[in-house]
Amino acid sequence: MENMATRTQTAQRPNGSAQGKICQFKLVLLGESAVGKSSLVLRFVKGQFHEYQESTIGAAFLTQTVCLDDTTVKFEIWDTAGQERYHSLAPMYYRGAQAAIVVYDITNQDTFGRAKTWVKELQRQASPNIVIALAGNKQDLANKRMVEFEEAQNYADENTLLFMETSAKTAMNVNDIFLAIAKKLPRNEQASGASASGQGRRLAEGDTGARAAGSCCK
Amino acid sequence: MDEEYDAIVLGTGLKECILSGMLSVSGKKVLHIDRNKYYGGESASICPLEELFTKFSAPAPDESYGRGRDWNVDLIPKFLMANGQLVKLLIHTGVTRYLEFKSVEGSYVYKGGKISKVPVDQKEALASDLMGMFEKRRFRNFLIYVQDFQSDDPKTWKDFDPNTANMQGLYDKFGLDRNTQDFTGHALALYRDDDYLLQPAIQTITRIKLYSDSLARYGKSPYLYPMYGLGELPQGFARLSAIYGGTYMLDKPIDEIVVGEGGRVVGVRSGTEVAKCKQVYCDPSYVQDKVRKKGQVIRCICLVDHPIPNTKDALSTQIIIPQKQVSRNSDIYVSLVSYTHQVAAKGWFIAMISTTVETENPEVEIKPGLDLLGPIRQKFVSISDYYEPIDSGLESQIFISESYDATSHFETTCLDVLDIFKRGTGEEFDFSKIKHELGDEEQ
Repeated sequence: MENMATRTQTAQRPNGSAQGKICQFKLVLLGESAVGKSSLVLRFVKGQFHEYQESTIGAAFLTQTVCLDDTTVKFEIWDTAGQERYHSLAPMYYRGAQAAIVVYDITNQDTFGRAKTWVKELQRQASPNIVIALAGNKQDLANKRMVEFEEAQNYADENTLLFMETSAKTAMNVNDIFLAIAKKLPRNEQASGASASGQGRRLAEGDTGARAAGSCCK
Repeated sequence: MDEEYDAIVLGTGLKECILSGMLSVSGKKVLHIDRNKYYGGESASICPLEELFTKFSAPAPDESYGRGRDWNVDLIPKFLMANGQLVKLLIHTGVTRYLEFKSVEGSYVYKGGKISKVPVDQKEALASDLMGMFEKRRFRNFLIYVQDFQSDDPKTWKDFDPNTANMQGLYDKFGLDRNTQDFTGHALALYRDDDYLLQPAIQTITRIKLYSDSLARYGKSPYLYPMYGLGELPQGFARLSAIYGGTYMLDKPIDEIVVGEGGRVVGVRSGTEVAKCKQVYCDPSYVQDKVRKKGQVIRCICLVDHPIPNTKDALSTQIIIPQKQVSRNSDIYVSLVSYTHQVAAKGWFIAMISTTVETENPEVEIKPGLDLLGPIRQKFVSISDYYEPIDSGLESQIFISESYDATSHFETTCLDVLDIFKRGTGEEFDFSKIKHELGDEEQ
């Protein structure tokens, strides 16, 4: 059984009228070191960009929401925390992920090759319904391009991946790629596969008394 | 790898991963290596099921076991006490956000060949079939005493000094019989043998309070179990370490722990590469000349397609068989988890029986546990040596954890980790170093 813990809840406006659903999804980032995974997240979540982003401190678990029609899609974004470097990503990382962005650097052909390996890894380890997007990052350096747009687009089409070239530096296509993913994700509990709303509970300080399973949802 | 680190951690078992996380959080530069290509060492959960069968040289499982990938089978059975040390570590380090848990449904104790629910409050004490009418009243009074007891308020001690008088004295004060002492000491205070009777009563009172505080936290039983198995715990702490800059290498053989002048560790060698370091933290398997055998633990993994009889069809259970009930010196633990924890295919259960080995024929020792389970589809028995380090590590700066013991929960695991951390760094772990704003930011 796959853990497709889509959390759906109905938020209330102060005046009591229903605002629509909030769906929460786990999204994981994959790709070689230094292709700009953390930078993409920081741009998306905080609107920031640092030319010399320290390798993965700080973007290990961030959340950001996008609005689609009557639904608020909340992304719980997992960064690799550098554990991709020696191929030591834990199975926990893929567990329950409903979306993934596989990132490569358009100025570095090797990173594109590695991106394909990560896609295969996702197809092997992650849930079969996972939505995968391929991001050709560092589009602002297009004059040093080593990976052609068409080559990546063809690969993405063959593997039914979403594809965009992005720039964390200029913000090009950063929001768009997350929005495109949000549109492809199932926004109701039936479509999400298994029994929905996390079958276990998260622990928190000051927890007392029994709470319903899947604490934040239902 | 050819760099210099403050600490190199060898093995990714739970203890080493917690230590790695605490060291990284404390600002140390950490390299964490495992010779296996997976996380968890002995505390891994085996997936897929085929791998478990291969490990025990059994013929491959047939299709009745469902998809192999749906199984995550622990090698060492344990539960978390809901108000215990590990839950505190998980919450304070923020690792809890990577994990989901379920309460264990039932907690039972064995008496005279059958099992009864462990009574924990006054109401349950009066309804329990473990005691006769008058004994129930005495036990109820004892529970009220423990409940009202405050270690810093001698008025609540009721003319009994728990710091000097022993536990036998407290039992006698309430007139509890041997049977009641047995399940109180073993099923509530979770002692494995009877040495505690002659220790100051305060220790046992504290442990009973841990049990009832844990129970109060999530109900049903004081125990928690993580979705997808115990193997998720080391992975969670490894991620914490990585987030704070720890470097991870799996599938990397360790050929030598390099020692310099004065017997102090200076590095770790893998093939021709040497990583320099000031300290090494590791499990016993990496330093076989620096540990001694303390005993043996037998663990039996049983795959069953039904709940344990007489547990009201609980989907997760712990049963404690107190030593005296079966004429032993240490308790036998039975634990059950199931498909509802994503550790088995739909309709399947995993029961584990474990105890400290006392005889030449350990498989016979666990029979009282096996007899409680009903029909067993597949059984895997392992007998492991239990090691402890021969020294404190202060001279060599090689700090070695103890093997996982037969206890049914993680309290001793955490005590070992906190003690090693203190020996290694000279200070207690400072939880305030965790920067919660690093993650989990609500926009």
